Amino acid sequence: MVEKEYRHIGKSYLRKEGQEKVTGQAMYIHDLELPGMLHAKLLHSPHARAKILSIDTSKAKALPGVKAVLVGEDAPYLVGLYMIDKRIIARDEVRYQGEVVAAVAAIDEVTAEKAVSLIEVEYEVLPAVHTIDEALEGKILVHEDINDLDYMKGVFFPQPDSNIASWNTTKKGDIEKGFAEADLIVENEFTLPAVAHAPMETHVSVAQADPYSNKLKVWSSSQSPFTLRDMLAKAFNIPRKDIEVVIPYIGGGFGGKAGIHIEPLVAVLSKAAKGRPVKLKMTREEEFNQLPTRAGMRGRIKTGVKKNGKITAFQAYYDWDSGAYADYGVNVGKTAVYSGGGGYEIENAEIHSRTLYTNKVFSTAYRGFGHLETHWSVERQMDIIAQKLGMDPFELRMKNILKPGSRTLSGEVIYQHTGSPSECLEAVAKEIGWTGYQTKEERLEQFKTGKVRGKGIALLQKAPAMPTNTSTGAIMQMDEDGGVKLMIGAVDMGQGVNTAMAQIAAEELDIPVEKVEVSWEINSDKHPYDWNTVASKYTLMGGNAVKKAAQDMLRQMKEVAAQVFRAHIEELAHKDGYIYHIKHPDKKIPYNKLSRGYVFENGNAIGGPLISHGVYTASGLTNLDPETGEGLPALAWTFGAHGVEIEVDVETGEITVLKMASAFDAGKVINKKLVDGQVIGGVLQGIGSAILEGYKFSSDGTLLNPSFTDNKIPTAKDAPLEVVPIYIENEQVDGPYGARGVAEHPMISVPSAVGNALYDATGINFHSLPLSPENVALRIAENK
Amino acid sequence: MCGEHGNNCFVHVDSGLPPVGLKCVVNGEEIQACVDPTMTLLNFLRNELKLFGTKEGCGEGECGACTIIMNGETVNSCIILAVEADGAEILTVEGLAKDGELSILQQEFIKMDALQCGFCTPGMLMSARALLDRNPNPSEEEIKEALAGNFCRCTGYIPIIDAVKSAAKREREELK
Amino acid sequence: MLSKFDYYKPKSIKEALDYLDNNDETRILAGGTDLMILLRRNAITCKHILDIKAIPEIQRFDYKNGEGLYIGAGVNVNQIVDSEIIEEKYPALHQAAASLASYQLRNRATLVGNICNASPGGDLPPVLLVYDAEVHIIGPEGEKMVNIKDFFLGVKKTILKDNEIVLGVLLPDVEEGDNSVYLKQSRLKGHDLATVGVAARRNNENKISLAIAAVAPIPLKLTELEDVINEKGLSNDLPDWVEGEIKKYISPISDVRSSKEYRIHISGVLAKRALQTLIEKEVN
Ligand SMILES: Cc1cc2nc3c(=O)[nH]c(=O)nc-3n(C[C@H](O)[C@H](O)[C@H](O)COP(=O)(O)OP(=O)(O)OC[C@H]3O[C@@H](n4cnc5c(N)ncnc54)[C@H](O)[C@@H]3O)c2cc1C
Ligand code: FES
Ligand code: FES
Repeated sequence: MVEKEYRHIGKSYLRKEGQEKVTGQAMYIHDLELPGMLHAKLLHSPHARAKILSIDTSKAKALPGVKAVLVGEDAPYLVGLYMIDKRIIARDEVRYQGEVVAAVAAIDEVTAEKAVSLIEVEYEVLPAVHTIDEALEGKILVHEDINDLDYMKGVFFPQPDSNIASWNTTKKGDIEKGFAEADLIVENEFTLPAVAHAPMETHVSVAQADPYSNKLKVWSSSQSPFTLRDMLAKAFNIPRKDIEVVIPYIGGGFGGKAGIHIEPLVAVLSKAAKGRPVKLKMTREEEFNQLPTRAGMRGRIKTGVKKNGKITAFQAYYDWDSGAYADYGVNVGKTAVYSGGGGYEIENAEIHSRTLYTNKVFSTAYRGFGHLETHWSVERQMDIIAQKLGMDPFELRMKNILKPGSRTLSGEVIYQHTGSPSECLEAVAKEIGWTGYQTKEERLEQFKTGKVRGKGIALLQKAPAMPTNTSTGAIMQMDEDGGVKLMIGAVDMGQGVNTAMAQIAAEELDIPVEKVEVSWEINSDKHPYDWNTVASKYTLMGGNAVKKAAQDMLRQMKEVAAQVFRAHIEELAHKDGYIYHIKHPDKKIPYNKLSRGYVFENGNAIGGPLISHGVYTASGLTNLDPETGEGLPALAWTFGAHGVEIEVDVETGEITVLKMASAFDAGKVINKKLVDGQVIGGVLQGIGSAILEGYKFSSDGTLLNPSFTDNKIPTAKDAPLEVVPIYIENEQVDGPYGARGVAEHPMISVPSAVGNALYDATGINFHSLPLSPENVALRIAENK
Repeated sequence: MCGEHGNNCFVHVDSGLPPVGLKCVVNGEEIQACVDPTMTLLNFLRNELKLFGTKEGCGEGECGACTIIMNGETVNSCIILAVEADGAEILTVEGLAKDGELSILQQEFIKMDALQCGFCTPGMLMSARALLDRNPNPSEEEIKEALAGNFCRCTGYIPIIDAVKSAAKREREELK
Repeated sequence: MLSKFDYYKPKSIKEALDYLDNNDETRILAGGTDLMILLRRNAITCKHILDIKAIPEIQRFDYKNGEGLYIGAGVNVNQIVDSEIIEEKYPALHQAAASLASYQLRNRATLVGNICNASPGGDLPPVLLVYDAEVHIIGPEGEKMVNIKDFFLGVKKTILKDNEIVLGVLLPDVEEGDNSVYLKQSRLKGHDLATVGVAARRNNENKISLAIAAVAPIPLKLTELEDVINEKGLSNDLPDWVEGEIKKYISPISDVRSSKEYRIHISGVLAKRALQTLIEKEVN
């Protein structure tokens, strides 16, 4: 393949905002202060499920400095992305321990906290739904009004009189025939607990709501300026034009800050406090206990295979312990029906994905969007099948892997330009020196030393989970220096979109990258629309929009230059900041001379300020068929694989990740340094899910670990000794320069790879996460 | 204003108890203030001195986002009372760059892409700064030990460890 | 934080004791790494904070031949980690201190605060137990030395009265050939509380002492087990034997940090490894 020469694409430029962040200048909502600003504090339910019999706020209201005290009755608004099921303050009934029962705004945090402590609530504790099985049983309904809830029809399928917020299905081929043809049928159950996103900046918002009109301004640590505006408009039934959402630097999101969370609550508090701005900064405990998580999940998988390893049938029940409200949870569940078989060609498949209501803190999007969970099941299952067939798990995967001509679960055809999972798998297998499982004898020999090593591989795939009409826009303006101000609607949370978009703009315009400034602090009044900064879709979509904006700007410049040169526009080209005539290259005008229109020597002017825009809308996507799951859900598939080598202390159960090789078919890497950052960071988040993290609940549904004391995330000492990012570049035909997204993918299948390596090391198959010292050591001791 | 200390003094009346006098040096600047006895040092720096570089990630000594250098050593400012800083010399992220120029450590953080969202960065820089002050040539293990009290959810730490290594090398070469 | 307190920082012991006598609901503040968390979570409330860090006597930190090691209440855990004499003479104390929390937290946390807080899982008490340390307490009635094994009463409970202050801790001197080790199991490699922590010591007369954290409401000295071990005498089989035997002497609970089963399992593993270290030393 001939490599195209680019001026900026593929170069590791340093992130644009680095200096502000290392000097403490970067401003987050966390740091925002406004004149007259009040501070909010919340009262939370101590019970998983209870009737609210009475709330007495009189003492709180009487406390000097308190400006507003609200309970459910004062805020009768329902919100929800797909199921309109959540009140911004609980009313009549609480559905999880941690749910907001009352809110206070006061002159400072201490006063607000004091006021909260003075609110008296009487509850009648009710039996609650704690587990997946209890949810499926449906004896107790988390939402007794489930039949009346409004929801997105045709995409989600809530079941009447049940706890099933959505039941999505795939039916491909003939599953019974598939199992009948199989030489071997393997059935397994895999589970993983809910985990926290744990962004270092907790959720925080400031809102100012005009008490005399619909005007509302919200500053939020959010990934979703426009979805947030949309949801606020729907919740309050006010026009979108009256809502302004501002998002400066945000201290991490990982999906947990997508959609709508504390913002409407802060808005009603501001309105109640006569329009004074109100700030609500969640404590770390609230971040764990009140704000959503990644759902716990149980996958029951049944696979039929031929002796030669060919999969003949795949059946899965994915049941999501999704907590009290649907939020993004139902959409996470939906991904399982088109991606829950992994990166393999499966002719006969049946998948049921059920997002369940339980009386626990609810779930939402989290990096990987359901894929870490389903891949934990699928990729472990592949290894177990290989063991039963006596086959190398690498060979088994290669036998079934998606390749040009294969069809995905939803029936989409794979081409070379879709990307190559096999190249990824081969690359990581090579990097870690994969030669198949070690033998029993080798294992026993290692056991004598007390430390055993093992290697594991796992495949992964993900496409953005987004509405079929997802779109984005970019606006570009040129200044008198020939510098470019670029406005986009995506939030740079550190993933580096602003730097990458500057590279794309500079590439198209052929100017130094320093000449492009992407405007920080997204403001929904000023910045162009973008659906949501989620789903790893922005490089492709935003990149195309920026490219088009640049091309539109070039066209505008050429139109003016054509008049100046009295030439046809087709005879003009651009290079290095100039528009020139292709036949007479010395005839050229620098961009800056065109930025405010061109002025002739006699003073005549033509053209005008250079303002351009570009938009991009996903095209050709379809909703999935409700019965069969057929359709075109994927803007672009990104495939990848991990290969890992671990060492296990057989007595303490501690796992050390010695090396992680991670390969992704990125299409085209726009900025290697930034993508490396996504890979290394994502891998460690995956390791957190693999060996450490997880919510623990008491038998009455109380969250037992709502703090970093007992809900740890990996530290510097827990990082793998080595991470090797590998990029495969099969260009995406509709991606900018061939690029596709890779931001979420590094996390997916990390637990599966570690679990597989753990089998290689110990000869034991693990089915549940986390692979904590405790869980590992006790299983090894049992198997002695 | 506080009658006792005059115009330089910030009065904060959280607890309604009499404010306590506090003198300290922050990033080279002498500070005189009266603070509520229940106020944390972190809140003093942020809410009173308006030094917002130092962050709060947990308020419980776990995450290190609030790490500052007090009398030459790193501390979690979220679990120290402001009044405990009486007489102390304090360095925060705002004090790292000198004369409008980034310190070597800051430069290396940028160069190695040791930050993404940036929220952990101020605390991380302070832990790294104190490490290099007491040990100009730290091993990888020593770097990890010194940084383990600073959580970062974005970077996976490896680029941070690399940045500290290369800053150590440059400091040894350039700051002789 | 709902507590409203004032702040007092005495410069002498007398001032401190007087203050305690005259002010109910006072909390002593050393490093604050336990106290501030409890206050922030409103797990406790108080009206007065007595910051003892300006009292000269509590800065005492010395080792005297024949007398032992004195660690004042103002000495922070990193000072202990950095002390060469401790690393040499009381290695388990060095190891336990180095395993406690994060670097920046250790710059504030004190050894005395760690014992006064009386958390069942504290890292330093097991070490003090195997060294038979004495807690130096002062109150209105004067000074006293209390053996560390009599100091703890229950979870977060000690024999200290509201008007008493711990001035420091004395670890008796050790003879040539004395050796010790502290092993801790946590949920991750980064800073964490102990799932179980085991301190083991072998003195110059080859007597073994064992103490363990996080398996009972108070840090436990396994006196009965020690007796059996010392009767058996040291041998290469001892560590493996203790791994199984220790399970008879502890009855941990399950909590958010660990199941009972793992605590029992890992207690055996750590005790075995600790003894292996101590016995190997001799072979080499
Ligand atoms: C993030 C984090 C991690 C931690 N990790 C660990 C760990 O790994 N291992 C571990 O063992 N501990 C850990 N701790 C607990 C704590 O740091 C230790 O217990 C520390 O040694 C307490 O010392 P301090 O000086 O900070 O105590 P303080 O908080 O000042 O005091 C603790 C208690 O003792 C009383 N007190 C203090 N000094 C005296 C005195 N001289 N006389 C009488 N009473 C006194 C106080 O009133 C208070 O009740 C951790 C704490 C945090 C916040
Ligand atoms: S904010 Fe201080 S340690 Fe987390
Ligand atoms: S850069 Fe985001 S937490 Fe470290």
